[in-house]
Amino acid sequence: MNPLVVNNVVKHYADKTAVSGVQFEVGKGEIYGLLGANGAGKTTTMRMILGLIYPDQGEIRYNGKAYNKELLKTIGYLPEERGLYPKIKVSEQLIYLAQLKGMSAKDADRSLKNWLERFEVPENYNKRVEELSKGNQQKIQFISAIIHNPQFIIMDEAFSGLDPVNVELLKATVKELRDNGASIVFSTHRMEHVEELCRNITILHRSKEVIKGNVKEIKSKFPKEKVFLQTKSEVQGLERIAGVKDIHRHENGLEIVIANEKVASEILTHALAQSEIEHFQVKEPTLNEIFIRSVGERNE
Amino acid sequence: MKSLLDRLVSVMNNFSTVVRFTVMNKLRAKSFIISTLVFMLIISVAVNIPYIITLFKGDDADKVKTIGYIQTENSVGSAIGQQLEQYFAAVEGSSLKLKAFSGTGDTLADETVLRKALSEGELHSYIEFGEETASGFPSVVVKSEKLLDFSVASQIESVLQIIRQNNILANAGLTDEQLKQLQSPINVEAVQIKSSSAAGDDKEAKSSAEQGVNMGFIYIVIIFLFMAVMISGQLIASEVTAEKSSRVMEVLITSVSPLTSMFGKITGMFLIVIIQLVSYIGIALININLPHNAEMLANFDIDLSSIDPSVIVFALLYFLLGFFLFATLYAALGSIVSRTEDLGSAIMPMTFISLAGFYIAIFSISTPDSMLVKICSHIPLFSPFVMLLRVGLTDIATWEVFVSLAILVVTIYLAVLLSAKIYRTGVLMYGKRPSFKELRKAMKAYKI
Repeated sequence: MNPLVVNNVVKHYADKTAVSGVQFEVGKGEIYGLLGANGAGKTTTMRMILGLIYPDQGEIRYNGKAYNKELLKTIGYLPEERGLYPKIKVSEQLIYLAQLKGMSAKDADRSLKNWLERFEVPENYNKRVEELSKGNQQKIQFISAIIHNPQFIIMDEAFSGLDPVNVELLKATVKELRDNGASIVFSTHRMEHVEELCRNITILHRSKEVIKGNVKEIKSKFPKEKVFLQTKSEVQGLERIAGVKDIHRHENGLEIVIANEKVASEILTHALAQSEIEHFQVKEPTLNEIFIRSVGERNE
Repeated sequence: MKSLLDRLVSVMNNFSTVVRFTVMNKLRAKSFIISTLVFMLIISVAVNIPYIITLFKGDDADKVKTIGYIQTENSVGSAIGQQLEQYFAAVEGSSLKLKAFSGTGDTLADETVLRKALSEGELHSYIEFGEETASGFPSVVVKSEKLLDFSVASQIESVLQIIRQNNILANAGLTDEQLKQLQSPINVEAVQIKSSSAAGDDKEAKSSAEQGVNMGFIYIVIIFLFMAVMISGQLIASEVTAEKSSRVMEVLITSVSPLTSMFGKITGMFLIVIIQLVSYIGIALININLPHNAEMLANFDIDLSSIDPSVIVFALLYFLLGFFLFATLYAALGSIVSRTEDLGSAIMPMTFISLAGFYIAIFSISTPDSMLVKICSHIPLFSPFVMLLRVGLTDIATWEVFVSLAILVVTIYLAVLLSAKIYRTGVLMYGKRPSFKELRKAMKAYKI
């Protein structure tokens, strides 16, 4: 049985349904992507996993057991918005938060120093949070979620406010936590992160699941409708091929929208006849496109 | 069984962690240190003010004040003035001395002479005797450059009373013995007894000095309770709101149960208030015991041991329970507000209630057995203030105190239940301040 099982949970707020029948499992050493537009029910789902609110129906099981207060120590939470004391020193508040998670002050201090070292900001130890830049605050927030080495980690927009270098740094850390066996629920609007990190995802829309499953399988289910073509010299007459819907000219080549995959080979033959080919790819739909299609189309 | 024990240990660990964090943050905060030090300074000055005043008027106070009057032949005023002069001269160490100026009969010219003496500093003030009034005594005016020097006027007044009495009695043919009897003072001793104790049993009776000490003690406890509630109540509420608005709350409630965090915060703040009060009392005591103040204090005849120990016990009990009740409610109010700007209006009702209780107690201190006090001493949010009056200053049946305490404890229990629910719900609700209807709905929705 998987460590974290969310079984058909339903949550109503007064007359509004926030989450309706969400169901997924997160394995040991897995990052599960929870996606959805704003107000789709992600935060409510996360709050239920965190035990802050209880589901109206369904249940959530942790290592096969129902929620209990002991679990608090094994859960790490990275909220979407900054959740730190602005006027208190980093060391004081992180040791405090770690102590609340059951660590001794000494262990917490050692662990904090290690993490600060890893994130290349050891000088922040004695600084107040309000003195830090947004990216550095996010690093501290990140440390606060994982300092006690939790088994379950809930991350809401983990990489917001970070520059690309630091995103890579934290991404590597998330992967390492995964490899060490944590079960991670990961929510973000950045689909490229999802593609890189998550094995399985759920896309929520208006409190309901619209797409769920393995990222590769989801992508393979969507038809390949784009071809990327880069040639030495210009290719003429592409638009006359039956099944070519649209052609976008990019700096480095052409992006061709096609009706179905069979058209791709026709394009290749057509192009080979006229020029030398530098790059040809039948592109999988990106998660971004899948997301926009599944959420956007239902928006009407 | 073991897991229950583990659970308890972990709750206590978290509780003490929250308490320590709350206390340390306050103690380290510059604003807290500075405000405490400033208050200690103010107390030191206040305690020393009586001594400082005596320092400034030091030489002035010891100096004999000379009061001038006009002496002309055959005027009633001159005769009385002479008697005054003799009287003050006869009193050893008298601070007043009269000096006669021979008059010319012209009132204006005479006054000019007196004014000149006054402006040269020879005189402190001077007396004018006017027309004879219905009482057979002339009207008397003391003129001085100094405003509000009541002590001089009142001394003269009381001596004049004696002189008039003597003048009349001298003609009544009384013996010296009878005169002495007439003049000997009568002392009335006010003693507070218990009507329940047997007649003649005055063991527990309180003399007026003891009543004064008790009243002072009650006064101080009521003021301390009010200060503690006002200061820490607002601090607790604003800390909760700050945690909420900085969203640290979301991280906190995934680490520690809201109840533990709420009571940890309340307890931490209680310790802070105690630290503050102890340092205030300490600095006051140190100052009082400085040699120059101790001397002055000895004159007041304050005997702290005359405070009834049961009064002290009840005072502590009411202080603790009152603080706890108010603090819990303040924490709940703080939790429903998401922005610090909205906090003031949210805690306004609490502030008014504590003010009302405080005022009822303070203004009833001379009428501790009024119906208002009797009723309010059983109303939970007022009783910590008001019941103290009755305990300290009246003969109240113990069962009545226990009834009031029981009501208070039950209220605290209900307030804790309610506050915990509001807190649990409030910390998750953001946006504008929810109405009670919305709060109830949310409570239901969150299944709290």
